[in-house]
Amino acid sequence: MFSIGIGRRSLWPVALLVIVLFCSVGVNAQDVANGQATATVLAVLTVVSSHDLDFGDVLQGVATVADKTVDAEAGVFEVTGEAGKEVAVHLQLPDYIALADGSDRMVISFSSTDADVDFTAAAAPSAHTGGAVVDQNPHNLGSININNAVAPDNNFKVFLGGTVFPTVDQAAGAYSGDIIMTAAYTGS
Amino acid sequence: MRSLLDIPCKLRGWGWRGIVFLSLLLILPISQVVGSVLVAPTVIFLSDQNRTGRMILQNPTNEPREITVRFSFGLPISDSLGNVQVRLDDSLATDPRSCAEWIRAFPRKMILQPGATQTVRFVARPPKNLADGEYWARVVVRSQESKTDIPVASDAQAITTNLNMIMQTAISLKYRTGDLTSTLQLADAEASLLDSQVVVMLGLSNKGNISYLGVLQCRLLDAENKEVSTYKIDLAVYYDMLRRIELPVPAGEFKPPFRVELSIVNEGRTDVPPEFVVHAEPVESTLAVR
Repeated sequence: MFSIGIGRRSLWPVALLVIVLFCSVGVNAQDVANGQATATVLAVLTVVSSHDLDFGDVLQGVATVADKTVDAEAGVFEVTGEAGKEVAVHLQLPDYIALADGSDRMVISFSSTDADVDFTAAAAPSAHTGGAVVDQNPHNLGSININNAVAPDNNFKVFLGGTVFPTVDQAAGAYSGDIIMTAAYTGS
Repeated sequence: MRSLLDIPCKLRGWGWRGIVFLSLLLILPISQVVGSVLVAPTVIFLSDQNRTGRMILQNPTNEPREITVRFSFGLPISDSLGNVQVRLDDSLATDPRSCAEWIRAFPRKMILQPGATQTVRFVARPPKNLADGEYWARVVVRSQESKTDIPVASDAQAITTNLNMIMQTAISLKYRTGDLTSTLQLADAEASLLDSQVVVMLGLSNKGNISYLGVLQCRLLDAENKEVSTYKIDLAVYYDMLRRIELPVPAGEFKPPFRVELSIVNEGRTDVPPEFVVHAEPVESTLAVR
């Protein structure tokens, strides 16, 4: 007969294990407590440029227009933030663009109707949505309400056009300048 | 799906940065954002008791962004037509309530790598003997591409152009000291029917010693007490302001005479932490539409 030599001493580890298990259950039950998880949601404001104002190649003596309704030409700014909030928008527009070495510069102009504003993520320069406001003055855009909708439509877009006026002896080269858009909530 | 409130307690051990970052991701769809940075919060409060503050910048794009932080002064102001603008004044602001000169930011210039987050800290060093009340500045966060290629014409004889699009976000910073009072007065109000809308002009005057931050609500009602349209906007009045509100009137459904129920309260703002709300008496009025 095969017997397993289990004496009284060998029972102690088992007994200890059982005691620990029961006590653990008891301890867990007594340690249950209600806590709270908190999260602080912060408001954000973002200005994005999704397309540069692009005049393409320019000919000496020929004024060239970048059309605000042409996808490949219009400059596009997008402001995203809390739905329905009012944002003051200011565009700082250059009067000239210049060569990198400053040796020549070209006049650039923005007319009083060179901006359109639209209010959905799907809006494009060539495809405005029903609520678009057209022919706005880019020098005085004023305040615009962010679309009162959930993401991704909690925004508005500004489509910008302009005109450059190269002289008949305009130096060849790459002319550059800065367009600065500043956005600020009016309610704070 | 787990909601924002299901964040485990152990996340609090990270500090609040993890929660803030998660909040930013949930608020804004990252895939839609190209070419700028996220800035949060949009209002920063400092005080005698806590002269430091912080702002979170995040670059959600695939390109490094060059960021600069500077201070300016600019309040929401209105023109004679009731249109509101915020114009920044970068010169030495002469407004006695400007704190732009004695607030410091660290860091002020940085390159933010794709996906990176940066905390910008503010420290106030106010002059002595400041009068009780609130002092203001605008934190201007400027963002542009870190790599600026010098444009090269494709043809040696060609003329090409490159307009650098630079984005700036200006958020409000307020420093508070001493006893604070928040009081808004409705100095003037009129409503008139023009074509298919009711135009309301409100003259508002701040009589407290802090900027009044509240919520303006208008309800347009017809002769049968039917609600025609509503309007709701966050309001900030620093000194005096003329505010224009347009309430559409759909054709054929509603009977004149109309009236406008106006309410301005300084509670219920989603962007102002409750501990920074200074209670003000609500402003309520009913205007007959002429």
